[in-house]
Amino acid sequence: MKDVYILSVETSCDETSIAIVKNGTEVVALTILTQMDTHANFGGVVPEIASRMHTENITMVLEEALNKAHMKVEDVDAIAVTYCPGLLGSLLVGVEFAKVLSYVYDKPLIKVNHLIGHIYANKIDNKMEFPVLALVISGGHTELIKMTGDYEFEKLGETEDDAIGEAFDKVARVIGLPYPGGPNIEKLAREGNNTYKLPKPVMDDTYNFSYSGLKSSVINLVNNERQRGNEIRKEDLACSFQTTAVEELTRKLELALKNTGIKNVIIAGGVSANKYLRGQIQELCDKYDAKLNLPEFIYCTDNAAMIGAAAYPLYLKGDFADLDLNAKSTSSIC
Amino acid sequence: MNLFIDTHLNDVVIILEENGKIKKEKILKDVPENSKVIMPTIKKVLAKAVPNSIIVVNGPGSFTGVRLGVTIAKTLAFTMQKPIRTITSLECLAVSTEEDEKIVAFSDKNGYYIGIFDNEYNLVGNYEYLSNSEYEEYSKNYHVLTDITLDYSKIIAYALTKKELNPHEVNPIYVKKIAVEK
Repeated sequence: MKDVYILSVETSCDETSIAIVKNGTEVVALTILTQMDTHANFGGVVPEIASRMHTENITMVLEEALNKAHMKVEDVDAIAVTYCPGLLGSLLVGVEFAKVLSYVYDKPLIKVNHLIGHIYANKIDNKMEFPVLALVISGGHTELIKMTGDYEFEKLGETEDDAIGEAFDKVARVIGLPYPGGPNIEKLAREGNNTYKLPKPVMDDTYNFSYSGLKSSVINLVNNERQRGNEIRKEDLACSFQTTAVEELTRKLELALKNTGIKNVIIAGGVSANKYLRGQIQELCDKYDAKLNLPEFIYCTDNAAMIGAAAYPLYLKGDFADLDLNAKSTSSIC
Repeated sequence: MNLFIDTHLNDVVIILEENGKIKKEKILKDVPENSKVIMPTIKKVLAKAVPNSIIVVNGPGSFTGVRLGVTIAKTLAFTMQKPIRTITSLECLAVSTEEDEKIVAFSDKNGYYIGIFDNEYNLVGNYEYLSNSEYEEYSKNYHVLTDITLDYSKIIAYALTKKELNPHEVNPIYVKKIAVEK
């Protein structure tokens, strides 16, 4: 079969990224322009500024990706773009940009869900095998999904309140860590011990998660200690929080491994970059003789290569979008 | 043939001009989600034609509206390798009026964008955004033109006298401050 090249675009948050991906598995070129330094000045992503920077940079990012690949837009078979979920203003820049490429070069347009993109980051270099349990963990999502084939999703469970990444960010803010909160908690936690007693989230037998209780108890603990004039041991609190937060994931994943007998596990989403979490899930998988696949670090955070990988099955199905495609801020995988 | 794109408010204006004449024009009023209609409208207006240059209204106005028009225009210019020029929404008003004192303005929900121009359409000072109450005071002292009918032939002719830009450098102007800038 002829090789399929997809030019993919990702602008859902604060990274402007364009990739060219061959047959859904091989990254020919990937350019990521991050705005993290700009947003760090404001203590978090400012949506309006994120959108502005996408518009400023997107044609330059395209030029760089094409130069890296030694290709022209004419050479690709389709244009793919993240259309949901994410910051609406940011998504729209990528969507309109991709439509122009599709129009000018007369290439099919493929709309891709960002979360499915994170799952398909595992397809890069052919790492994903079905059936598989996928743990999608990010600033907006905490979902456990069973996949039996390409685009065959069954949601086993999801968060009942906050997403895990959201809890990391809020706890980081409460203990006074700068943006980005998640990586800073992880760094600090390495210097601490699990000494603070934090409540375990709901111990039921569903696959659902909960993070708001844990988050609130950290906030209350910090406030109470401050009122009593006690110093908080930030390292220990970061470590205690991270340990409890990850336990919530491994407990539910363990339940799924036991009940389904599935022997493949993937982790996707920004929080999957957390090394402690990776270690804990690896241990669990070893216990159940399951294979854990992790994308390379560069494909864990937002990038366009994963969008190209997720677009490939849609290309094969002929599942194409029109020029009236709109962006959506919210959406779920299934 | 020159393609003109204006999406700075809720209207979507796409025009194909040739030798001073408007060949094709689509003006869609009060489009709620303009991302759904801008590209389909451009496709309709262009039919199979390839424009020789692109003109885009780069603001000020609705942040998202301006951004979509500019993103589309700069990407068209970059990929088609055609010249691109910008004209501001307030220049469009100034060019469309015969009055000598050109203090032109248009409003959004919360206030007014204002520009002062000389008779050669050069901006005097800077663009300003006034809140509704500030504008009320301002308009007591100055004769502000707010009900100008846009003359697209003149607007395009004027835009074509402006400098060609590198598409990478074409960006919106926003004027109105956002919370983190205040």
